[in-house]
Amino acid sequence: MLRFILIRLGQAIPILLAIYTITFFMVRAAPGGPFSQERKVAPHILEQQMEYYGFNDPTYIQYFRTLWQHISFDFPPLTSYPGLTSKDIILDTFPVSLELGILAMFVAIAIGLPVGILAAAKKNSLLDYAPMSFAMIGICLPTFVIGPLLALLLGVWLGWLNISGWFSWSDRILPALTLGLFYAAYIARLTRGGMLEALNMDYIRSARAKGASERAVVLVHALRGGIMPVISFFGPALAGLISGSFVVETIFQVPGLGRHFIQAALSRDHSLILSTVLFYAALIIIANMVVDIAQVMLNPKLRYG
Amino acid sequence: MSVQIELETEAQPRSPWKDAWFKLSENRLAMIGLGGFLIMVSLCYASPLFYPHSPTFQTLSFGATPPLTMAIEVRYDAEAIEPDETITPKEFSDLYAENPASDVTRIRDGEILDINGIVFRKSPKTHLLGTDSHGRDLMARIFQGGRISLGVGFLATFVSLLIGVLYGSISGYVGGKTDAFMMRLVDILYALPFLILVILLMVVFEGSDHQLLLIFLAIGAVEWLTMARIVRGQVVNLKNQEFIEAAKATGVRTHVIILRHLAPNILGPVIVYATLLIPAVMLLESTLSFLGLGVQPPNASWGTLIKEGAEKMMVFPWLLIVPAAFFSITLFSMNFLGDGLRDALDVKSSKD
Repeated sequence: MLRFILIRLGQAIPILLAIYTITFFMVRAAPGGPFSQERKVAPHILEQQMEYYGFNDPTYIQYFRTLWQHISFDFPPLTSYPGLTSKDIILDTFPVSLELGILAMFVAIAIGLPVGILAAAKKNSLLDYAPMSFAMIGICLPTFVIGPLLALLLGVWLGWLNISGWFSWSDRILPALTLGLFYAAYIARLTRGGMLEALNMDYIRSARAKGASERAVVLVHALRGGIMPVISFFGPALAGLISGSFVVETIFQVPGLGRHFIQAALSRDHSLILSTVLFYAALIIIANMVVDIAQVMLNPKLRYG
Repeated sequence: MSVQIELETEAQPRSPWKDAWFKLSENRLAMIGLGGFLIMVSLCYASPLFYPHSPTFQTLSFGATPPLTMAIEVRYDAEAIEPDETITPKEFSDLYAENPASDVTRIRDGEILDINGIVFRKSPKTHLLGTDSHGRDLMARIFQGGRISLGVGFLATFVSLLIGVLYGSISGYVGGKTDAFMMRLVDILYALPFLILVILLMVVFEGSDHQLLLIFLAIGAVEWLTMARIVRGQVVNLKNQEFIEAAKATGVRTHVIILRHLAPNILGPVIVYATLLIPAVMLLESTLSFLGLGVQPPNASWGTLIKEGAEKMMVFPWLLIVPAAFFSITLFSMNFLGDGLRDALDVKSSKD
């Protein structure tokens, strides 16, 4: 297992390097530097700024210097937040995004898993068709349609919730619901599919023959196998959660990393763009690794095979 | 001889494509999807022929009027062909509040009112879905946005189809180390956070004239990975089967084998995946536009319209609801059609 983890970590390094290189040159290729969008400043001040942030050095020096800064976790000051570094921004805002993501995943599992199990256990009944039709709707509707519509319904018309902000616990409901509903629908479909397959297995027949109760058959015996597709979905789900957080944080004015990434991209803050992209990439790689390990640990076939 | 007779008495065998069409037409949801999709496409592309409003014409006095807002034509000279002005019913009532003849319902019923020599009549151009905050007709803007959203969907899908099929079939047909290397590359690309790279790409080329072109190139270049995997899997499966070997053994030339025997067999999954890819691409484009990184004004896609609607939903909810409904119906239709096609064409599901 340790060897497996080490190999995966070793593969991660060239991937991160490739992402760094692509991002570095893509950002440099953009027309308009980090100082071009603000109001005109005097040339000698601009020159001072260019010198201070190191934009006057040759590109290859900038490339390796920035690379080393990321390896040694010693970040330069940002152009869009003078005095702060990428580390400050990420440490400040990522917890907000993380909280949003965890709440959304909680919503998704709390709705999706029971609905999927029930639909599989009561196959071809109303309890199967009705929730699965809703799941289809949930999958087709994009986040940026569900979000404003939910805000319109719960925030504007019913007046129960604030439609933006991130202050009290009730401000968490709308963003978490918006981000989580798609995954709830997806998890419900995956659970149903996995459970149906598991319920057809021979070991389920054996369990029934032994006299296990229906509840035990479904929730203990079948669920272990039936939940596998859901677990392998968590890896890709994280990448989706990240892009979803861009949209949700923009809709509901949540002060998370996603919104700051969009802002950094729009204001051409080279350093912040690079750091956030690398941070997201590392996050996705680690999450995929954890999912792979979890799969091996949960599935005896992979463990001994 | 007897075999010959048996064959002749049997019913004409259906071709696999006819069989698939038969299965598809039995699937009610898929047919609803097909119908919805065709209606949307024809509405969006044919609307300039029959819809009287222009998506760019602004009448500021008509700022954000609700659906079914009637326009009133004003003529200072009763004989004039073109109206001198077009006003809203509210403006009309405000202007002539004291005059007992100023009854909007009479104009709505088709009466032509003459107040102090100024002639008012109902305009045939009612704003069916109201107007946006600049007084542009919302329906016309939705049709225009649909042309862009659907257009990006089709073109980007075509780009990814081209790359994916080429890459996948080469990888599958050549096999061996080339195949292993090419597929490993796809695995690595899968791990990249692509939306982030697309966002960066959009920022890099922000404001350039070819931004629309760039959007579907960027999206197409991102979405080909799954297509390449599917095609490669099909080709690897097929190339060792007996009928291909038989064709080779009887001396059929390579390009004929590829066109005649391989292509029809990979066409099914490719069609299914392409159908499902179109809504996925439209979703990606609209997400970018919603974030302000995609289609830029004066162009509009459904994503831009929903973004504008979301900003004004507190006061003018229809600006959000109507474009969202059009977009959702299109996505539903495409997904239902794609699922139906998968059931009708997929080799896997027809075996078990």
